[in-house]
Amino acid sequence: MQAPDPIETVLARLMPPALSQNCQDGLDSMIDDLAGPDTAPPRVSAIRRTARWVLGGGIAAGIGALVAVFPFSNNQAVPQRAAVSVVDPPSGLVLLSASDRVESMIDEGWREDASGAALRAVRLNVVEENQVRDEESGMKVRISEPREEVLLVPIREF
Amino acid sequence: MNSPANEWKQWLAENGPRLLLFARGWSNCRQDAEDLVQEAVLRMWNYQAERGGSPPDLPLVFSTIRFCGLNHHRSETRRRKREESVIYLNDFQDVWLDPLLEEDEEALILRDAVQNLSQKLREVVVMKFWGGLTFLQISETLAISPNTAASRYRYALEQLSHELRRIKEERHASA
Repeated sequence: MQAPDPIETVLARLMPPALSQNCQDGLDSMIDDLAGPDTAPPRVSAIRRTARWVLGGGIAAGIGALVAVFPFSNNQAVPQRAAVSVVDPPSGLVLLSASDRVESMIDEGWREDASGAALRAVRLNVVEENQVRDEESGMKVRISEPREEVLLVPIREF
Repeated sequence: MNSPANEWKQWLAENGPRLLLFARGWSNCRQDAEDLVQEAVLRMWNYQAERGGSPPDLPLVFSTIRFCGLNHHRSETRRRKREESVIYLNDFQDVWLDPLLEEDEEALILRDAVQNLSQKLREVVVMKFWGGLTFLQISETLAISPNTAASRYRYALEQLSHELRRIKEERHASA
């Protein structure tokens, strides 16, 4: 191998300076802009996929149940799944199942809205129930959250 | 898996200083050189987008910087601006290379000598020494023969060596 020229050994003691922070930031942001948003789909675990199917089924069953129970009877417990609103659990928790269970429905009769249109008021006692698993400890937790809702259904036919 | 954006950022972190040094030969201040690097990276991104999107080979980027630099040289307004900025930036010792040791007298002499080399010689030295390109790659970048690239490099080293000796002798004589 050829020995380096003595002048090359001196040149080796010189280094090109780094890009300025301003330029580096500009380049990074330009690359981010050019690359566009990260389109990689989020990883969905098999359990979460199953939970989503269960959830979808729950929503369908809940809507079906609501349609089926009209007209309502007073103080009747309806242990059916209803429409579900799902909030993503915090990271580290895997959502295993989610449901909204209608515990009871009370027909509160007719009401009028501001424009004078007739409405039928139905008070629902709903329990939202989520089952999550802590990925770190493997522990399963069931979270129940009861709530009361008043459903106003427009009446078009008498 | 590494995203394209991260790949490019890593590539820039590794090669940014080399590109900047080469771009200095085509601009009269650091800021203009950084603009050249940015322009070249943008062109490279678009070029590579149709070729898998991975970061480009270094010789190609040197060519692109050179091309962008030539374009800039053609603009009269741009030239005037650069001349003004030279006067301004020289007050702040706008240098191309940093010595590893602050008090390295020889390295400091050579730093100025490299900057004062003719464009033809300097770009070969920069690409060969700090860019790590082979003479064949340099010849492709500059559209010259590999032999010409090699002889320019040798001639540049001779000039640098001569300049180093001359300045050292002058300093010893005056000491």
